[in-house]
Amino acid sequence: MKLLTHNMLTSHVKGVSKGYPLLIKATQVKVNEVDFNPKFVSRMIPKLEWGALVQAAEGLGHRQDLPGELVSDYEQNEDFLKKVHRILLEVEVMEGCLQCPESGREFPISKGIPNMLLNEDEV
Amino acid sequence: MNMMEEAASRLERDHVHSVYDKIAPYFNDSRYKAWPKVRQFLLDLQPGSIVADIGCGNGKYLHINEEVFKLGCDVCRPLVDFAWSQGHEVQMCDGLHLPYRDGCFDAVLSIAVIHHLSTKERRIRAIKEMARTLRVGGRIMIYVWAMEQKRRKFEKQDIFVPWNPNPHVASGFNGEHVKPRRRATAQSVSEAIDNTEKHRKVRSTSSVADEEDLSRSVPQQRTQRLWFFSRSLDSVFDFGSLAISRSSSRDLSTLSSTSGENEGNKSNQRGRGRGLIKQVSSFFSPPSVIGSEEDVFGSVTDLHKGQKDPGGNNNNTGTENQSVAVSLAQECGSWALPDLVSLQREPLKQSEDEREGGQQGEEQQGSTLSPQGSEGQVEGSCLRYYHVFREGELAELIENHVEELHVKHAYFDHANWCVVAEKVQLWKI
Repeated sequence: MKLLTHNMLTSHVKGVSKGYPLLIKATQVKVNEVDFNPKFVSRMIPKLEWGALVQAAEGLGHRQDLPGELVSDYEQNEDFLKKVHRILLEVEVMEGCLQCPESGREFPISKGIPNMLLNEDEV
Repeated sequence: MNMMEEAASRLERDHVHSVYDKIAPYFNDSRYKAWPKVRQFLLDLQPGSIVADIGCGNGKYLHINEEVFKLGCDVCRPLVDFAWSQGHEVQMCDGLHLPYRDGCFDAVLSIAVIHHLSTKERRIRAIKEMARTLRVGGRIMIYVWAMEQKRRKFEKQDIFVPWNPNPHVASGFNGEHVKPRRRATAQSVSEAIDNTEKHRKVRSTSSVADEEDLSRSVPQQRTQRLWFFSRSLDSVFDFGSLAISRSSSRDLSTLSSTSGENEGNKSNQRGRGRGLIKQVSSFFSPPSVIGSEEDVFGSVTDLHKGQKDPGGNNNNTGTENQSVAVSLAQECGSWALPDLVSLQREPLKQSEDEREGGQQGEEQQGSTLSPQGSEGQVEGSCLRYYHVFREGELAELIENHVEELHVKHAYFDHANWCVVAEKVQLWKI
């Protein structure tokens, strides 16, 4: 699970109103090499919940010096874009779980795949 | 969960999810085709878009357009695993409960998915869930099997379609066909395409292929196919419309009184409810007998006769089924379904063993109908449920029930009804 994906994921347990962002509890993290496409990254940025991204990166020990607030005119800032690229697309959680911030329910991640299926009683 | 929900959920578990779990290996490495119009929809997206393929199966659309970020999800683990092995971001989830925040996608795909949902209400809910995750201005493309096919028309909308692996493919699947994980170079265009070309063959198994493809790939075989009709689950629960014979009045009164008590004491009703679900599910099982809908209510005894008739296979553990009078229409139609391998036209046999045991393990589930002489190891127990759509039905569903989506295009593509709809801002006063 890449952090770009994580940024979209939310807990959908019945009755939960604050299911986002999910807390990452990783037991295995990989870092891959992915071709850097600055345009792609800069287009992704406005679609992100920036705070959730920083929080997730920090939780994994990969925050480096990503700012807590988005800088303005980042489109031209290649350094910044490279950092974002790395955290969005290269860091990958292979094993662990995603925890609902409100209910505590844990969704397992196994072999890079989060299992977000709910049980009958959570639906 | 109310009774209808439980029945629907069980039906889908038995005749969609568990079937795909079984047959996944056969089309992971497969013969599939990315529909050109779906491909075009993806290619037309703004670079930097985020797209979700809800019900992505083996991920056949996830490699298209490297300028956009794609993620896929499905309930079928083997298919999701395969998609992951191809380098895609995928999750396990269920289309009625999507784990994505509101408005986070620029586009959503639902290709040959919602026709597997067994009630109208669930189909609407699935569309609404996808709409929820779309941003305003974002677009969704939905493909569903059409009732009206090129040469003929399905006579009923709710059907079971048997699966058979293609007999002329030498034992189909084995592990070597699965490419090693391509994570690190997933963004690289040429690699991705290369990878897929090796896997891509002629026909799609989750949608209907061209007739040219059909004749090319099944030259010698008879093109008779079988599929089975049933009533929709929606109509089963419409007690007012059911006509039953005398001997079943006891059963019907049980059914209707329970439905009336839905709001009442849950724990009390639980036990009865469970038993009823089992009965209802068993009505809805693929056919034990060939007959017509009109016959069913006229004569329950004929039905019993039909069940006892075929050869040795039929033992009497099916008493549960037989005692229930309300049965679903079952009719066997034979006509070429392009994406399925031909079955021999054999008298249908019924084996009640697995039915009797209830829904035990996954291996036990699904229809036990087993046409004789069928090829492949996963034959009769793999009957997939489909609700095929009439012309205009999908667009109507959206227009009447999903106000946050506005239909932009509706068309027929190969054997599917297709809609492209846009998410609109709703203003509540």
